[in-house]
Amino acid sequence: MITFTINGKEVRGQDGWTILEVARWNGIEIPTLCHHGALEPYGACRLCVVEVNDGKRSRVVISCMYPIRPGIQVQTESPRVANVRRWIIQLLLDESPESPKIQELAKTFGVTPSRFKKAGVDFACHLCGLCVRACQEVVGVQVLTFGNRGLRKAITSPFNAASKECLGCGTCTYICPTGAMDQVFQRVKG
Amino acid sequence: MNTDCKIGIFLCECGGKISNRIDLAQVGNLLQYEPWAHLGVYPYPCLAPGLAVMRQKVQTKGLDRILVGGCSSRVMKKRFTAGLAEVGIEKHQVEMINLKDHVAAVHEASPQELARKATALIAGGMASLSLLEPYEPASLTFEGPILVLGGGVSGFIASQQLARKGMESALFAKAQTAERVLDELHWTFPGCRIYCEDMAEILREVFTSPLVRVMPDQPIEYIIGGVGDYRVGLKQPDGSVAEVAGAAIIVALDREFGPGNIDYIGGGVRVCDLLDLEERLGQGDQADFKPGKMVFWVNSPQHGKEAQELAAMAAWRDSQVLAREHPQVKPIVLYPANITLPLTGADLVEARAQGIGLMSYAPEVHPVVQSGYVSFVSPADNLEHEVEWDTLVVPGAPGEPAAKAQELLRWLPIYPENGGRLQKSNIKFWPDQIPDESLFFTGSAGGACDLNEVLQQGKKAARGVLNLREKALQGRLVSPVVVHVDKDLCEGCGLCTEICPCGGIEHVKPGSGPVPRETDNHLCSGGGTCAATCPHEAIKVVNNTAQQLEARVKAILARMQENEILGFVCGWGGLASAEQAAVKGLTYPSGINLVSVNCLGSLDPSILSMAFLNGVKGILLAGCTPKHSCHYHYGVDHCWYRVNAMKKLLSLADLERRRISIGYVEVNEPESFVRMVESHMDAMEKLPALPGDDKTKAKLWAIHATMHRPRVRWVLGTSLRRPGEKEFPGSQFNAVDADETMLDVLKEEYTVSRIFKALQDQPLNPPDLARIMGEPVKNITPTLTDLTRDGRIITKGWEKGYPIYAMGKA
Repeated sequence: MITFTINGKEVRGQDGWTILEVARWNGIEIPTLCHHGALEPYGACRLCVVEVNDGKRSRVVISCMYPIRPGIQVQTESPRVANVRRWIIQLLLDESPESPKIQELAKTFGVTPSRFKKAGVDFACHLCGLCVRACQEVVGVQVLTFGNRGLRKAITSPFNAASKECLGCGTCTYICPTGAMDQVFQRVKG
Repeated sequence: MNTDCKIGIFLCECGGKISNRIDLAQVGNLLQYEPWAHLGVYPYPCLAPGLAVMRQKVQTKGLDRILVGGCSSRVMKKRFTAGLAEVGIEKHQVEMINLKDHVAAVHEASPQELARKATALIAGGMASLSLLEPYEPASLTFEGPILVLGGGVSGFIASQQLARKGMESALFAKAQTAERVLDELHWTFPGCRIYCEDMAEILREVFTSPLVRVMPDQPIEYIIGGVGDYRVGLKQPDGSVAEVAGAAIIVALDREFGPGNIDYIGGGVRVCDLLDLEERLGQGDQADFKPGKMVFWVNSPQHGKEAQELAAMAAWRDSQVLAREHPQVKPIVLYPANITLPLTGADLVEARAQGIGLMSYAPEVHPVVQSGYVSFVSPADNLEHEVEWDTLVVPGAPGEPAAKAQELLRWLPIYPENGGRLQKSNIKFWPDQIPDESLFFTGSAGGACDLNEVLQQGKKAARGVLNLREKALQGRLVSPVVVHVDKDLCEGCGLCTEICPCGGIEHVKPGSGPVPRETDNHLCSGGGTCAATCPHEAIKVVNNTAQQLEARVKAILARMQENEILGFVCGWGGLASAEQAAVKGLTYPSGINLVSVNCLGSLDPSILSMAFLNGVKGILLAGCTPKHSCHYHYGVDHCWYRVNAMKKLLSLADLERRRISIGYVEVNEPESFVRMVESHMDAMEKLPALPGDDKTKAKLWAIHATMHRPRVRWVLGTSLRRPGEKEFPGSQFNAVDADETMLDVLKEEYTVSRIFKALQDQPLNPPDLARIMGEPVKNITPTLTDLTRDGRIITKGWEKGYPIYAMGKA
C-alpha cells in the first residue's frame, strides 16, 4: 500500500496506479480529454496536470501517467496548476476552436479565444487520438491513424484510402468526444 | 432460476454521469430480493483501483458471474475481462448493462424513475447470467496433410511453402508434371511467360518434394468434416469413391481465359489473340515471327477496367519477351487512356532502350482497324493518329471460374458475386470475436489479378495454415464461439446447412439420410440464425442461447410498466446507433427497454411470441440495413421473415399487426434511431395495452405454441431467402403465392394450438369447442378429424351424437 495526499486528503493506492486513477476513485475530479477507461493512458492533451511535491521540490506533471509514490503531496487545484491548465486550454481552443468539448472546457475555466492567430483549423477534431487507440486496442484492427504532421496533422486511414480492414463497427464514432469522427468514419468505411 | 451461481453486481457512478441521473441507491433497494452474492456502487470500476476491488470481491465472495452496470459493453468489456482474468473470470462470465447510454444519458425522467428502468435491465442481465453453462474450450488437433483443391497456380506455391516448413500437403491438379503446368500457364495468366523460369523453380521443388503428393484432379463427390478433420470424396473413373483426409483446405481457383473476339476484325493469321501469341512464344520458333510491327491493342472495355489493366500488363510483358528473343519484331502497346499502366520509371527507360512503343488512345472514340493500320484518337491532342501494324494482337476473353468451382461451391462457404467473381463468406468482425481464418481461398477466381499477386496469396494461405498448426501445438487452437447440436433433438433435416452463410454446419455424405449434424466452430461466426431456424430447436449457441434471452426478456417484462415497450437492437447498427444517441446528447422516451442481441437473425421467433404472451404492449427491432450492412450477410433478412410471421399471427388473433415493427439503421445514424423509437412509441401510445382477459391470453398462448411448432419453423426456415433471389421454394411461383402458403400453414397450426389450449382445460365436443374458440364449427371440424387421425388428440367418448375430444395419445 502506498499512502500519499491529494489536496491534503490522505489517500492510498497500490504500486502501478496513477494519480488520476486514485484521485477519481476518491471522488476528486481532474479534467481530461485524451483519457478513457478502456484505453491505456496516452498523455497527449496534458489537461490532467497536477502539482506534485515529493518533499524536495514541486513539479507540474500529467496525472494520467504519473505513478503514485509514498509520501508525495498532490495538488489538483493550486494556482500553478490552474495557470498551466488555462494555458493548455487556451492553446487547445486556438487549435480547435470548433470543438464543442473544448468550448465547454474553455467556458468552465473562463478561457476566451486569444491573440494567437488561428491557423485555419475549423474542424471539430482536436487530435486526442482516442479513435486511433480504440481502433487498435479495443477493436484489434488498425484502420485509423494520424496523417501528416504539425499544423496539418489529421485523423485518417493509411494512404487516405477507404479501408478494407474497417469493420464498420462504429467504435471510433462512439468514443469520439467531439463528433468529428462522423465524417472521417464515412470516408474510411468507404 | 439457477441459484447456485454467485453473481456480483458492480454499479458505476462514472464520475456523476450515471449517479446524477439514476438513483443508484434505489437500484440497490429494488434489487434486494434478487439472488446476488455481492452488490456495490463504485466511482469508476474500470480504473485500476476499481478492478482491484472487483478482483478482491471475486476472491473473498467466490463470485463466478460478474455484472457491471456502467457503459458500453463493446468498448469496455475487454478492460474488465483483462482485469479479471487473473482471478479466473472468463469472457463469457462478464455481462455489461449499459446504464449510461441506454438510461442515464438519453432520458429526461426523474432519477427514481430511471432507477426502476435500470433495475429492470439489470434483473434481465442477472436472469441471463444465471443460465450460463460453464464450459472448458478444447483445443483442436491439427494433424495430417493440407488439401489443396481447385488446381490453381497459387496451390503450388502454398504446397512449396508448407513443405519447406515440414508440413505435408495433397495437391490436386490437372497437370502432373512441371512442364505441363508451364505449358498451360497462359490460359490462366496470359503475359506471364517472362516469369516462367521462377515458376519452373517453384514447380520443380513441388514435384520433387516428398511432402507434396500431387494427385490427378478428380471430380469431387463430397467434402465433409471440418477444420482439423476434412474428408474429401473423389470420384474414381470406375465409379467408386476414394476418400482423402486432411486438416485444412486451401482452395486455389483461377479464372481461365478464352479466345479473344477477333472475328469482327478479320485479317486471317495476321490478327491473333494473346493466348495464340503465347503458344507461339512457348514453341520459340523463329519462323513464326516475321519481321515487322506487332501492335498489342487492348480493347474489349466490356470486361471492365481491371481486365484491361491486366491485358495491358500482359502485352507489356510479352513485348519484353519479344524484344529479348525475337528482336526482328517491333512491339507497340496501344492501351486505353482511362486505365493506369502500372509501369515504373525504370520500365519506361527499358521500353525506350528496347524500342517498345507505348501509346494510349482516347477510349471515347473506338479505334478503327484498317488493313495495315489502326486509327485512334490520341488523348494528348484530340487528333486522329494511325499506327502501322503487321501483326495485330488483342487480349483473350476472361471466362467464368473453372468448372471445378461449381463442385466446390456446393460444399464450401464460397459464393458467386455479381460479375462472376467468387468470394469467401466474408463476415466482418472484431478479430477476437471469430476464430482464426481456417479456410483459405486463393487465385484469380476471387478477383482479377496477375501471377505475382496470386503467388503472394498462395504464400499467405500457407502462412495461415502454419499459424493454425503452431496454435494447435501450443494447445491454443480454440474457437471463441461454440455451437452445439443436440443429437437427440436433431432430425437431420439439413435446413441449418442450407441457411448458414459461414459454413459452420458440417455437410454429410450424400445419400446418408437424415443424420444429426455436426458443427464446425472454427468456421462459425456465432450469428445464430441456424439456432433461430432449427425446426426442432436442437441448435444452441453456447452461452448465447434462446433460453438465456427468454429468461432475460421475462425478467425485464416482470419489472416493466403497462405502457412500456421492448426494443431488440442488433449488436452493430442498432446497438451502436443507440449508444451514439447518448454520445450526441439526443433523448427519447424512457418507455423503451433495449435488449441487445449480436444479430437480429439470432432472435428466435418464439421470443417474440413469448414477450407478447407475457403482456408486452409492443416490440421494436432495430437492425442493420439489409444487404450491404448486415455483418452476418442475411441475418436481418431472416429476422424479417420471423417478424412477418409474428405479424400474421397477431392479425389471426385479431390483434394489431403494428404492435411489432422492424427498422433499419446504420452505426452512425443515431438521429434515425431516435426517430424510429419515437415513431413506434407514438403508434403504441395510440393503442390500448394488450387485453388481459382469458380469451386473449388463450390466443397469445396459441401464438406462442405455434412459434414452437416444428412445421411452422420448417416452413419459416425454407422461406428465408437471400435478397434478390427470384426463385421461391417448392411449387410457389411468386411472392404472393409464397406468402399465402406461409399464411395457410400459420392458420392451420394456430387453429391446432387453440384446440390444444381448449382441450387442455377440459374434454369438449365440437360445438362447445367452437363456442370457446369463437369460430364456426365447420372451420374446426376438418382439423379435429386430422388431429384424431394422427393420434394427437383422442376421442374420449360420445355425447348426443358428438364425439368428445380430449388431449392424450391414442
